[in-house]
Amino acid sequence: MKTRRPEPHTLAGVYALDALTRADRARFERHLARCPQCAAEISGLRETTARLAAAATTAPPAGLIQRAVAAAAQTRQLSPLTRDTPRPWPRHRAAAGTAAGMPGRSSLRRAWPPRVAVALAGAVVILAAALGLAARSTQHQLQQTQAASHAIAAVLTARDATMISAPVTTGGTATIVMSAHDRALVFAAAGLRALPPSSCYELWLMRPGRDQPAAMLPTPRHGMTGPVLASGLKPGDHLGLTIEPVGGSPHPTTPAILQIAL
Amino acid sequence: MGEGWLSPLADPGTGQPRGAELPVLLGRVAKGDRAAFEELCQHIAGPVFGTVRAVVRDLAQSEEVAQEVLVEVWQQAPRFDPGRGSPMAWVTTIAHRRAVDRVRSEQRSAERELRAAAHPVAYDDVAETAEANLDAERLRRCLRSLTRLQREAIMLAYYGGYTYRQVAVVLGVAAGTVNTRMRDGLIRLRDCMGAGDED
Repeated sequence: MKTRRPEPHTLAGVYALDALTRADRARFERHLARCPQCAAEISGLRETTARLAAAATTAPPAGLIQRAVAAAAQTRQLSPLTRDTPRPWPRHRAAAGTAAGMPGRSSLRRAWPPRVAVALAGAVVILAAALGLAARSTQHQLQQTQAASHAIAAVLTARDATMISAPVTTGGTATIVMSAHDRALVFAAAGLRALPPSSCYELWLMRPGRDQPAAMLPTPRHGMTGPVLASGLKPGDHLGLTIEPVGGSPHPTTPAILQIAL
Repeated sequence: MGEGWLSPLADPGTGQPRGAELPVLLGRVAKGDRAAFEELCQHIAGPVFGTVRAVVRDLAQSEEVAQEVLVEVWQQAPRFDPGRGSPMAWVTTIAHRRAVDRVRSEQRSAERELRAAAHPVAYDDVAETAEANLDAERLRRCLRSLTRLQREAIMLAYYGGYTYRQVAVVLGVAAGTVNTRMRDGLIRLRDCMGAGDED
């Protein structure tokens, strides 16, 4: 029989059901970090929501597992957590590459608001999925894309690689991995709004006085766009995204729908 | 239908719960074992895809999200902490969260509220596409032991992907009421359904 307990933490059920908005969820997670009792209750409730998931079990579409396995092969696993405190991904990445992080190398990084930090975990997967798709396309267009793939791989594996994710104002999420050392970044996006055939997305390195065209985004595949490489970054640049007539423009002709300080 | 896909529940041959294999598999995945990952996928792809499909509805998008979930499982595997729950709870938590994030980012809440009002979420909607399985039968039985408000609040949140405030609007009750009903309902479901692997 269930006994009704006092309820100091009434959001446990709501949280276990993911029925909180992102902002509420982040707030509750800060509380969770300080409340082992809540964490234990949530663990228990998650076992029950897992049963709800199991009850919805549906045979997956053909090829799903193969595609996931292929994408995983292109995806670096995260390092194990050594402390309970969740931290944004780039610091773990740095810590995994060297013994003790890299003080002094983060001059280009700025503090991201919590909302963006929350997006980081998802960003990893967006990028991984885009890369998985890219890996498949190389089978068809091996020669053209091989050089680009190498350059992309170089940025992703750079020791100072930093990941930034931000929403695109017209819809979708953009993720970049940047290496200040290589003066290059890799851009990928998920869920960008589909454009009419007369328009396309163009990426810019925006700097005072002159915005530099960086790349045209390819047509999305399965909702994923990219990855594309942009090189020649300079300190102080912003990465911008605009919608331009097909073929691109020498200068942005519409307001930026994404701007990231690099 | 899917390739090499296994039911997440008891193996009909041995009666052994397949869930017992998951911690071992996940441990190997955490060390970067790709073959173990493929095998793990065969166990989790059904619940993952079913959960995502229930929330997202659109088939193509569900497939996309399900793939993202599986890759995230690969990526996060080294951070799985067995002290904090079972592998299936961990995996389905990732799946459900990604699914709700997808639908919430795509639709204005007002639209969703309207849609909910027009199409109340019932487990039967989910059961239509789900495989017949032990959990489904048990859930159907256990859902009957909840109050109507508990049941509808949980269905709308879990399979509908609604926030508790949206649920409150749809059901015409205070948000605080929804909080307690969801929690009480889940506890009652837990008591009714048992711990899964042990029965």
